[in-house]
Amino acid sequence: MTEQHVYTVSELNRGARELLETEFADIWLRGEIADWKRAPSGHIYFSLTDGDSEISAARFRGRLPVSPLLDEEIQPGTAVLVFGRLTVYEPRGRYQFIATLVRPVGAGALQQAFEALKKKLQSEGLFDPERKKPLPTFPRHVAVITSSSGAAFHDIVSVFRRRWPVARLYLFASAVQGDNAPGELAAALESAIRFSQAETPLDLVIIGRGGGSAEDLAAFNDEALARAISVCPIPCVSAVGHEIDFSISDFVADVRAPTPTAAAEVTTPDQNEILSLLRQQANANARRIRRVLVDRREQLDRFLRPATFRAPRTRQETLSQQLDTEIAAIKRGIRRAWQRTATAEKQAGALLAASNPHRPLERGYSITTPVGSPVPIRSADELTAGTTIETRFKDGRATSTVDEVTRE
Amino acid sequence: MTIEETLAKLQDVTAKLDRDDVPLEEAIGLFEQGLTLAASVKEQLEAAKLRIEQVLEETKGTFSLDVFDAS
Repeated sequence: MTEQHVYTVSELNRGARELLETEFADIWLRGEIADWKRAPSGHIYFSLTDGDSEISAARFRGRLPVSPLLDEEIQPGTAVLVFGRLTVYEPRGRYQFIATLVRPVGAGALQQAFEALKKKLQSEGLFDPERKKPLPTFPRHVAVITSSSGAAFHDIVSVFRRRWPVARLYLFASAVQGDNAPGELAAALESAIRFSQAETPLDLVIIGRGGGSAEDLAAFNDEALARAISVCPIPCVSAVGHEIDFSISDFVADVRAPTPTAAAEVTTPDQNEILSLLRQQANANARRIRRVLVDRREQLDRFLRPATFRAPRTRQETLSQQLDTEIAAIKRGIRRAWQRTATAEKQAGALLAASNPHRPLERGYSITTPVGSPVPIRSADELTAGTTIETRFKDGRATSTVDEVTRE
Repeated sequence: MTIEETLAKLQDVTAKLDRDDVPLEEAIGLFEQGLTLAASVKEQLEAAKLRIEQVLEETKGTFSLDVFDAS
């Protein structure tokens, strides 16, 4: 007859420990923190519950892989995932979970899924720079995919009003958070693409929403939405949350904007910049015209010189002075016209009047050119007997033939 | 002409005006053309008022547009 084995207490606890450690090694456990204490030793003692049942747990200092977890993040009720093994504390005969890793469930789980999807889409080449379409310089028809009541749409409208009111915005409204949001966003994008093909060609899509919690922004980390954006034939800008928030949609879109306001800013030219560019250009053109006028003054000078040589000295001086006065008046006219007139239309009229090259004719000069050429004859050397020339006066022109050329 | 086209034209006119051999008569013509183009851009910008429509796809491929009141 075999006697039944009688355990000592120590023996039983050791046996239980070995059994539990074999059966429940390296497992994940989900629960809510019920109690959290950091001992002076640096070890942390806590307990987990799922509402019906509770278990003691410990996290030993120094044995752990570094966890990003901070004590202040751990409040009673925090949902956590812990990794470790089940064991028995033999001196007390109490079983407990020894955790090597503790992380909050919400953010951590989202973050893990985010990284996994990002890696997957990246390996498929969906983020490749050569896939990125350039944005239009002057967008005309712009689809905005966001909530019709959110701050994002309001911000986008404000920027377009200020910088580029030439555009037309088409709102494709969608939920931007909650379970339905990813599907609605993808459907709105597909609807915009159909609209672009069937109704009005769109040259830009802005998809996004304003700031919120990680869970609020999670719709933009949806795989199906990411794939819809990646095949969108229209240049697409993703603008989700604030500067610090990155979404999967940011990586697949052609451009990531840090906020909806920034999205509107990077996609629009500024009308004030265009106007100042126009002013600069008009000024440069006016300078250019002045230079051409100065050249022409030299031409006229050369053209008139033979005549003035024949005249008495005082007459020469008078003529030369008159010409200078004339040119100075033209220049002053341009400068005054430029400074005085506010609008480009006025500038056109005033400048043309002031810079009319035929004005010297009105003062009694004439211009001689070979027949059919606008280039004035500047020297007797250009003429030979028998050449036909045309002389322009203020009120008409005469054609004549050169009889004789005399050099002086 | 759209603003984009007008600006491109203006660029063209300026480039021509910038050539060294441009005769005075042509230069003045170009200058005038430039001012007219600039005035047209300015006019278009001043007249522009942002239009906002909310698009609904009633059945697939059939769209209705409503003016969106964003005030």
